Amino acid sequence: MNRYLPLSILALAILAFATLMLVIAPGIQIDARNVPEGLRNYTQAEQNGRDVYVAMGCVYCHSQQPRSPDQAPDGERGWGRPSVASDYAFDAPHQLGTMRTGPDLLNVGARLPSEGWHLTHLYQPRAIFDWSIMPAYPFLFERKDRAAPSDTVVTLPPAYAPESGVIVARRDALDLVAYLRALDRTYPSPTDALRDDGYASGPAAEDPNASEGDS
Amino acid sequence: MFGRKSKSDHPRPDENFEPYEEFSGIPMPVYWIAIALAAWGAFMLYDTGKDVTLAQDERVEERAVQISADQGEGGNLFVANCSTCHQPDGEGLRGAVPPLAGSEVLAAGPEIVARILLRGIDGPIRVGGDDFDGHMPSFASALNDDEISRIASYVTLTFGETDAKLDPKRVADLRHEVGDAGSFAGGAELATIVTSMPPQPPHPAPTAADAMTATVQDLVFAGRDDVWACASCHGDLGQGGENTPRLAGQPAKYLTKQLNDFRDGTRDNESMQIVAAGLSDAETAALGAYFATLRATSNASPNLSADLARGERLALQGDWSLGVPACFTCHGSSGFGVAPDFPALAAQHAPYTASQLAAWAGGGRQNSPLGLMSQISQALSSQDRRAVADYLASLPPVPAGRTASAQEGTSNAE
Repeated sequence: MNRYLPLSILALAILAFATLMLVIAPGIQIDARNVPEGLRNYTQAEQNGRDVYVAMGCVYCHSQQPRSPDQAPDGERGWGRPSVASDYAFDAPHQLGTMRTGPDLLNVGARLPSEGWHLTHLYQPRAIFDWSIMPAYPFLFERKDRAAPSDTVVTLPPAYAPESGVIVARRDALDLVAYLRALDRTYPSPTDALRDDGYASGPAAEDPNASEGDS
Repeated sequence: MFGRKSKSDHPRPDENFEPYEEFSGIPMPVYWIAIALAAWGAFMLYDTGKDVTLAQDERVEERAVQISADQGEGGNLFVANCSTCHQPDGEGLRGAVPPLAGSEVLAAGPEIVARILLRGIDGPIRVGGDDFDGHMPSFASALNDDEISRIASYVTLTFGETDAKLDPKRVADLRHEVGDAGSFAGGAELATIVTSMPPQPPHPAPTAADAMTATVQDLVFAGRDDVWACASCHGDLGQGGENTPRLAGQPAKYLTKQLNDFRDGTRDNESMQIVAAGLSDAETAALGAYFATLRATSNASPNLSADLARGERLALQGDWSLGVPACFTCHGSSGFGVAPDFPALAAQHAPYTASQLAAWAGGGRQNSPLGLMSQISQALSSQDRRAVADYLASLPPVPAGRTASAQEGTSNAE
């Protein structure tokens, strides 16, 4: 193997082909999509919260991609309809995730819109779910003897409340919760939406009763 | 071991020897496999491309069907939307649903019918000499202009014997005019625009403000030191979202029972158990009464991609091959709930309904009277549970709570 030129040309050509098919073509396909009606850009606070989400590595345990009913009962879990490409129009980089150690979060703002609930849960998940394996994030909060008028006090059950004083949320915690509450993709998906039709297309989709008989 | 063996077997090659491979052509089968793979790839690309466009077309069609639900003439629309309460012959149900046949309202023409369809009725109404608790839903979100015009024309022609047709464009104007005026406050308000109506009973509707004591207001909107505010999850009108249930207009006693069950641990839900733990009996009763008076437009949609026709069959007729009775036999026609035990199902969020059915089936929820729901849910397949949840989410919300609690009040008084 000493013909370096053809070898490197071939290697580069393979790379170029892969880039074309895996990066450029899908990019063109996705760029043509409009921002769906019902989706708005993140506010500054939500954007900061998104940065906290990224920094804390939430993506390692939480996906942001509800699957279609053929693949998982995500709809019944309240995680929302199957997501489509344009749902992520303002997410760069997206936080799709692959692990589902915790629940999917793409529609957490629709099913759990409570700021108070999220603050309690971030401060100490075990205060709500005694079986939860999610880490606590007490460093996003601070203990104060007395809350200032502008402070957001965290609601805590007596077992987890501090012996004296109150727990108030730092800016990062409030922004993170603002971001979580902004995660709401419950508007109807655009009819021209790009999505994986997977096994849903084909004969089974034409005759819904056929799939009913299968399971 | 191998090293030593090779040493002994093969003489060491000359140090200057450069190993090389003689040129040999690529075997033909490799070409065949490569060509076959490429052809297969191209075919799959073409085939799935076709599937994607097919599925997209289907979705567009589905949406169009959902939006216009073209079910033929007014008669079919009437059967599908009105006859569960008003009965196919338009005679209504004595003591519960006013008759259409011979009603004074219909004599006023199809435009009034369209107005009622768009706004709904929420309050006592006198029709044909009998008093009824009016709790008709607003169909503004469920039917389009064309459908409302066809139903209105059909109803006035069949039961009112006035053959005036209503133009869909006029319905569009009416829809605009009505805006978000909310339901007619019983026959009293209706009589102000329908002069032919007899004297109507007064409208004593307790408003949300009446049920709103200071304690309830604090609980609903501010929470307490160790509990979150109700409205922070369930919305300021009790409308809910996804698997957070809609509470607006549920029977008061049903809501109170659920809160008490959360407190006792009879019903499982970590967040609600924390919230309910600190509530007294008086507070759970007050909260139930408060949410029963709320009126919220539907924000539920059939979002589980299930078979709506199957859901409709289950809700209206049940499936006796599975031993499942129709939902509406217990939960009231149109699924508006029957106080005190049967919650309203209409406009409930599909993920909530489906997840509760799954919980009944799996034993996660066991607080229904006589274990009714456990049996029914176990008989349903997961597709059926999704289908019925989707269908119920597509229904217009019925203002049921106040009238249901009013009925309780009168029956207690008797």
